[in-house]
Amino acid sequence: MFFHIVLERNMQLHPRHFGRNLREHLVSKLMKDVEGTCSGRHGFVVAITGVDSIGKGLIRDGTGFVTFPVKYQCVVFRPFKGEILEAVVTMVNKMGFFAEAGPVQIFVSNHLIPDDMEFQSGDMPNYTTSDGSVKIQKDSEVRLKIIGTRVDATEIFCIGTIKDDFLGVINDPTAV
Amino acid sequence: MPRRRDEEEDMEDDDYEDQYDEEEEEDDRSSRKRRRSDFIDDAAEEDDDEEEDDDEDEDYGGGGGGGGKRPKPKKRGSQFFDLEAQVCMLLFPRKVSQNSEKTNFDGSHFLAFSYFLVLVKKVSLAVIDFIVDGGADIPDDDDGRRMHRRPLLSREDEQEDVEALERRIQARYARSSHTEYDEETTDVEQQALLPSVRDPKLWMVKCAIGREREAAVCLMQKCIDRGPEMQIRSAVALDHLKNYIYVEADKEAHVKEACKGLRNIYSQKVMLVPIREMTDVLSVESKAIDLSRDTWVRMKIGNYKGDLAKVVDVDNVRQRVTVKLIPRIDLQALANKLEGREVAKKKPFVPPPRFMNVDEARELHIRVERRRDQMTGDYFENIGGMLFKDGFLYKTVSMKSISTQNIKPTFDELEKFRSPGENGENDIASLSTLFANRKKGHFMKGDAVIVIKGDLKNLKGWVEKVDEENVHIRPEIKGLPKTLAVNQKELCKYFEPGNHVKVVSGTQEGATGMVVKVEQHVLIILSDTTKEHIRVFADDVVESSEVTTGITKIGDYELHDLVLLDSNSFGVIIRVESEAFQVLKGVPDRPEVALVKLREIKCKLEKKSNVQDKNKNTVSVKDVVRILEGSCKGKQGPVEHIFRGILFIYDRHHLEHAGFICAKATSCVVVGGSRANGGRNGDAYSRFDNLRTPPRIPQSPRRFPRGGPPVDYGGRHRGGRGRHDALIGATVKIRQGPDKGCKGRVLEVKGQSVRVELEARMKVVTGKSLVIWENFFDRSIISDNVEVSTPYRDAPRYGMGSETPMHPSRTPLHPYMTPMRDAGATPIHDGMRTPMRDRAWNPYTPMSPPRDNWEDGNPASWGTSPQYQPGSPPSRAYEAPTPGSGWANTPGGNYSEAGTPRDSSSGYANAPSPYLPSTPGGQPMTPNSASYLPGTPGGQPMTPGTGGLDVMSPAIGSDNEGPWLMPDILVKVHRPGEDSVGVIREVLPDGSYKVILGSSGNGETITSVANEIEIVPPRKNDKIKIMGGAQRGATGKLIGVDGTDGIVKVDDTLDVKILDMVILAKLAQP
Repeated sequence: MFFHIVLERNMQLHPRHFGRNLREHLVSKLMKDVEGTCSGRHGFVVAITGVDSIGKGLIRDGTGFVTFPVKYQCVVFRPFKGEILEAVVTMVNKMGFFAEAGPVQIFVSNHLIPDDMEFQSGDMPNYTTSDGSVKIQKDSEVRLKIIGTRVDATEIFCIGTIKDDFLGVINDPTAV
Repeated sequence: MPRRRDEEEDMEDDDYEDQYDEEEEEDDRSSRKRRRSDFIDDAAEEDDDEEEDDDEDEDYGGGGGGGGKRPKPKKRGSQFFDLEAQVCMLLFPRKVSQNSEKTNFDGSHFLAFSYFLVLVKKVSLAVIDFIVDGGADIPDDDDGRRMHRRPLLSREDEQEDVEALERRIQARYARSSHTEYDEETTDVEQQALLPSVRDPKLWMVKCAIGREREAAVCLMQKCIDRGPEMQIRSAVALDHLKNYIYVEADKEAHVKEACKGLRNIYSQKVMLVPIREMTDVLSVESKAIDLSRDTWVRMKIGNYKGDLAKVVDVDNVRQRVTVKLIPRIDLQALANKLEGREVAKKKPFVPPPRFMNVDEARELHIRVERRRDQMTGDYFENIGGMLFKDGFLYKTVSMKSISTQNIKPTFDELEKFRSPGENGENDIASLSTLFANRKKGHFMKGDAVIVIKGDLKNLKGWVEKVDEENVHIRPEIKGLPKTLAVNQKELCKYFEPGNHVKVVSGTQEGATGMVVKVEQHVLIILSDTTKEHIRVFADDVVESSEVTTGITKIGDYELHDLVLLDSNSFGVIIRVESEAFQVLKGVPDRPEVALVKLREIKCKLEKKSNVQDKNKNTVSVKDVVRILEGSCKGKQGPVEHIFRGILFIYDRHHLEHAGFICAKATSCVVVGGSRANGGRNGDAYSRFDNLRTPPRIPQSPRRFPRGGPPVDYGGRHRGGRGRHDALIGATVKIRQGPDKGCKGRVLEVKGQSVRVELEARMKVVTGKSLVIWENFFDRSIISDNVEVSTPYRDAPRYGMGSETPMHPSRTPLHPYMTPMRDAGATPIHDGMRTPMRDRAWNPYTPMSPPRDNWEDGNPASWGTSPQYQPGSPPSRAYEAPTPGSGWANTPGGNYSEAGTPRDSSSGYANAPSPYLPSTPGGQPMTPNSASYLPGTPGGQPMTPGTGGLDVMSPAIGSDNEGPWLMPDILVKVHRPGEDSVGVIREVLPDGSYKVILGSSGNGETITSVANEIEIVPPRKNDKIKIMGGAQRGATGKLIGVDGTDGIVKVDDTLDVKILDMVILAKLAQP
């Protein structure tokens, strides 16, 4: 789920950036530092949409660095248990398939793939229904439900299921 | 009669008999009853003179009284009947167990005890006392019993039928047992019952192996036959003790006497059991294990030792269980045996478990009978006395030959047991029995559990409290009491898909993962690290947010280590199993995985080396490379190991082999290294290759060439990277922040930040790389580094070098050790504190925009600048007297020899020289020698005490540039034999000076080198010349001195300036 939230961060700025462009430097550094990161609490920071306030800088003893408390608005993405997501399949193997929804990697185990879908190995491994009408392979788009998340310092890993109503392939690259 | 009993004993003893005992339980039981009753009858018959209580006692009383100890003969009579009652108890074992939960006597046990009176109480030794004292302690009971005893005895002669007698005994016993056993015995009372010194002793007597019971029974028979002559009181044979029986008697002689003539007993050696151990002899292990059907057990002995078996029937009375096993039968051998052919004496191997195939057996002409079991009505195939059903072997064994505790069947075993005929539910039922014998402390507060048995089956809840046996759970469903107490055997842990769990026992112990699927009590987990499915029992798992791989280390070898397997094969450990490693071998073409035992690994390869990639870029560990060829083409990741031109690359997205890919270095490219660059750098490397110091030295200069010469900006990023890998493993000291001063080892370098493992605190911190310094051997340098506060703009002096600021200095340091020492420590420090020097160390370089400034101040440009030229030559002059001259006058070549990369930077190489030569006082013997400090090319100019006049145009250099010796300044010239004052007249192009001796410049003209010259510090009101800074070359008047600062009135502008005394030199009087 996406959220638009306000976060705060203490930015350390090198003295060389002091000057007219200090604010610009600060914002660009903030973007560089924050966008794409992941925290367990908020999930992935997708984009910074604005800077609310930059507090007074505090010179750090000994370094000359200045710490600015910066409040910024950003869009974060955090997957939740039970959430329905659309994702692109990145890899298929006999244990299931991996899919990505933006920065989040999701694994769908073969136990969580409908029973009528069988794994077909080969050049392009895939899961296919017995009648061959539905096929999940690399680059397929699937709709899945997240049933578990694991949050590391740098990534969020989820397991998902497509063994439920209205879940499964939504766009098959081979069909087009 | 004893003979009959013996027969039975023998049968009981035969725990391992393979024959299915077809004897019906009922028959067996009743027949035994009969026998026993016979005995009682016998005893009663022998007891012909009922009037003479005393005689009777002598004959049978509780172990041959005889001793004068017994004060109340009548009591002894009662004892005998106690014995009888006890013996009768054998007939009703259920009742016994009802009355006493702690002790679990079995029928066979009682037979062994038959002569011995056993009271089923908490401490079995109470028994002995009871015999001795004849129940005198409990008169009420005794009365009660006696009341019954009389009629019983009086009717003995009437040849009453057995059943009636039995009934009576039962009735009587039932009552007395209630009065006797139901009362609570306190510990104190129990203590009082413990044997003391006055009680008869227990003696241990050797007997024939396997004849223990027989020996005890013989003794009993002897007592019956001989009566009062026997002075022993009891005999005990214990099932678990072979070769010995216990005899209770007052004296050893009594024991010997009793054993005389019995062939089973070897009474030569009679050992006394210490009083303290007497209780242990008769203590009964309380292992109240209820074996029920469908329990999993393991065989303890025989061919099937260790095999999993499933209980199909339990005979508690006979202590036998019928188990279902996967047969291990060699049909051929069986056929041979049945046909009477030669059978090999010793089986060379145990046949593997395999389901019995009847047709196969028939083909071998083995007779297969199909018989119906009378009890169950099932059909069994009978082959050579063994019973089979559905391919399983049904075997009846003694309870002692199976182990029931802590049975943890593996999935493989369970899979095998699941025959096609069985449906899933059956399987689940048996799975639930798996948990019957789990260890304590299994459930913890907060665990989600589900009830698997009983009325509340499928009720979910959370553990609130755990008692001994019962678990209090808070049920999920409303409307139920707040907490329910459920026996822990009826509970199973409950997980839902998506839970993150950790396996805490079983083969997968330690692994973590997310639950993908729950199949009753079996979970399928997706392992965090291997991304593979693991099947585990719900019971073996706890919820956890931790992420681990399970065991990661055996011996010295850890997961992801590079190991040498034999002289020409090596690989990376990609998985640690219970006793072996999976190793991805270093074969680049295809992934080859080998299972390797610990002892097969020769050693760990920790050598760090570099190789060249396809574009001749140097690849070191942790560099990110992309694979261009082979099956893993397109993959990319950091290099984890390098060995013999093979790279092991870790790709997080590569799911096989724990993410490791093995590739030839030549089929990869370093990400970020360009081709053009590569070509040029390649040349540079080839030039350096032979100069490289051994790569293991962390501060090795090789990273410098990688960083490229300062002018080679193209190589910048590579330099950055190069630094990273080189820094890894280096010992550093933290310069700033809360951990300032701590030493540690660099674990990882990422951009500007470095992860350092601190030695002192056992923790890992992340810090900016610029706040750490590599640890030097020389403490002063460290402290110096710490003090440094760097003028920013000069940072680029080292260009790439700044990334490893200390490195260049390393090598040159050594040649200069001596002069430094000579010079003495203090001046060195002075020198070090000079701001000039700091610049050299400024670590902020590579990215800093002011780089251009540096170009101006670049020694290289000076080197080429015409103004500078005059200054350069003196460097040669300088070289001669300096011990470190090799360095000072160096052409680049010398540097490279030293391992420094400076040679690649001509500008830099020369950098020191412009300063040095012009320093009049720069001799090694003087404090100024500090200026030679390695890596501080600009260090000396600011050194206090260094002074000089400048011949050069003031335009050169910036404010910070040091003092230059200039014409017209007054100097002291040190020459062998004499010191004299002179005036510099001219700076010669070779770096030496033409000095006219005499304070007014009218003496002899000599040529002198920089280190022979020392500036004469000006005093107040002296005319001075400014040797450094923006005002360089200007003259003025020193109008005051304030510490190290001089107040100068500049002649041209009449400005008053405050300048460092260091850059002021006394102007010679014209």
